[in-house]
Amino acid sequence: MSSSSVPSGSSGAAGGGGPCGACKFLRRKCVAGCIFAPYFDSEQGAAHFAAVHKVFGASNVSKLLLHIPAEKRLDAVVTICYEAQARLRDPVYGCVAHIFALQQQVVNLQAELSYLQAHLATLELPTPPPAPPPPLLPPALSISDLPTSSSAFPATYDLSSLIDPMLHPSWILNQRHEIDPRSFSTTTARAPPEIPSSAAPSGGDLQELARELLNRHAPPVVPCRNQASTLPPHSR
Amino acid sequence: MNSGRCAACKHLRRRCPSDCVFSPYFPANNPRRFAYVHKIYGASNVGKILLDLPVNRRAEAADSLYYEAYCRIKDPVYGCVGLITILHQQIHNAQCQLARIQAEIGALSTQSQSEVQQFQQVENVGPSFLPDQNGVPNSTSFYDLSTWFD
Repeated sequence: MSSSSVPSGSSGAAGGGGPCGACKFLRRKCVAGCIFAPYFDSEQGAAHFAAVHKVFGASNVSKLLLHIPAEKRLDAVVTICYEAQARLRDPVYGCVAHIFALQQQVVNLQAELSYLQAHLATLELPTPPPAPPPPLLPPALSISDLPTSSSAFPATYDLSSLIDPMLHPSWILNQRHEIDPRSFSTTTARAPPEIPSSAAPSGGDLQELARELLNRHAPPVVPCRNQASTLPPHSR
Repeated sequence: MNSGRCAACKHLRRRCPSDCVFSPYFPANNPRRFAYVHKIYGASNVGKILLDLPVNRRAEAADSLYYEAYCRIKDPVYGCVGLITILHQQIHNAQCQLARIQAEIGALSTQSQSEVQQFQQVENVGPSFLPDQNGVPNSTSFYDLSTWFD
């Protein structure tokens, strides 16, 4: 995807120079004050909006944007476009596959760090070093291990690399968000309809999902020295 | 046997058919799961996504849709992307730390090797020529010199 297709915050016809990309796609009159006009220009915007509409639906996105302050809407549109395109590329996992791949990478790096820190400690001892400890096994992934995020603190993200996956993912994060992922409490009924679904709201349903998805689809545990890839692995 | 409506059909206030696409993945005892997914994606879009997938992939798709919906509801601006950003940052920090530790290990290894080499050079001279603490040459040799005279 070319970088020229980044949703911009300055375009939009809104009844002036023709319909915006969203209204063009929806084949409707682009009114003044159209919520989509600033973010979907009439040239490339229609293609972006097509993906967003297919995954989220125009009215859902409109409601979402209306509840967001105007200065944050461009970021929201960019991330929504990213998620929509990720879902079209990988209908099973969407961008969640990318999250789990990155989390596995973090776990691998932390295991390697622990091993090397132990090795460093033995080198610094005056006595002959004992045998280095075996590499720590990465802990089982769970949702509670995922980084936290919340809307209490604003953050500045460099979103340009989201749109062009070939760009180097040099993220700039000024502040952390905080979310407690342990508030997930779901049940997942994977059984056929005639089998009763489980009902154990222990807060671990998505954790179980994370573990299962990781065990099935995560890459092998290897020391990772390269930058994280921006594209998620496709579903097998 | 599932005798009631699934969470989706309850939410949509409709009859739950026997072949309801939502029923296996949105059980009635977890109404929030469908509510979140419906709020972000809409029931119709979720149904289309699930129907386009083979049956054995739908459970995972439903779970990932719920996860993304949850993230979006908690963080309407960044959704899942906020987590991706944080993970990238963690990876970057860990790689920097790794590089630092590897450099330290390399420096310490080099230093200890040179110390060992110096120690070995001193040993080769022979401890019998080293005086004891009173300054008297030590007559005890670590090496059996008798073989020299065979």
